[in-house]
Amino acid sequence: MTGPVQVLVVGFERPAFSGEVMAEFTRLRDAGLVRLVDLLVVRRTADGAIETTAAPDDVDGDLGRLAAAVLGRPEGEADEGDGADDAPPDVPVWSLADAVPPGTAAAVALIEHVWAEPLMSAIRRAGGTPLDETWLAPADLAALDGAEEPR
Amino acid sequence: MLLVPKQLRRAGMTGDVPYYGGRLSPAQAYAASHPARRPSPSPSASPRRPVPAPEADTLAALRHLLDAGVISEAEHRQLQARVTR
Repeated sequence: MTGPVQVLVVGFERPAFSGEVMAEFTRLRDAGLVRLVDLLVVRRTADGAIETTAAPDDVDGDLGRLAAAVLGRPEGEADEGDGADDAPPDVPVWSLADAVPPGTAAAVALIEHVWAEPLMSAIRRAGGTPLDETWLAPADLAALDGAEEPR
Repeated sequence: MLLVPKQLRRAGMTGDVPYYGGRLSPAQAYAASHPARRPSPSPSASPRRPVPAPEADTLAALRHLLDAGVISEAEHRQLQARVTR
């Protein structure tokens, strides 16, 4: 793994391995930009339990194994303490249970941003220290679009 | 397969930058656990009512943030622990 890995959780009424989405991941990988590390489909029952959904027959049977191992553990399996359960209280944490509401389904993608590693290395070499990062909200994005329009 | 979700640390693309997802920033969390002092009532004010402890106000504010969905159960527990320790 060379680049930072993003966890993208997307809700679906009916989770499906869309050919269009997978084709886009293929295009991004071929361009050396983004690599889909793994994709897991989960369903959260009304009582809050999270079930993984088996991959369709025409998809790699190993799909979802890595994501499941990183994001959770099979019920009944001992906790190996590799999560953030023992993190100091001021360390922000999250879990799939925070992200997926009960009674819904979601696709969880682990996405490696291959393009970012050279940039991050250059920033470190320049002595830069990460202070904060976020995404622009839609309203701020619209403001940016407006500001970028040719005068 | 039933999956028991792990609690994972949040991080940003550039490393261990906390990603708050629109929730409480460190400054907001600090402010929540260190409420500003209210001006004291004038000595002539009467009848004198018991002044609730600042801690009670903070816990009530945290409860409101939890009920409003601004913070998660886990974040509520963490902030509550800061206030009461």
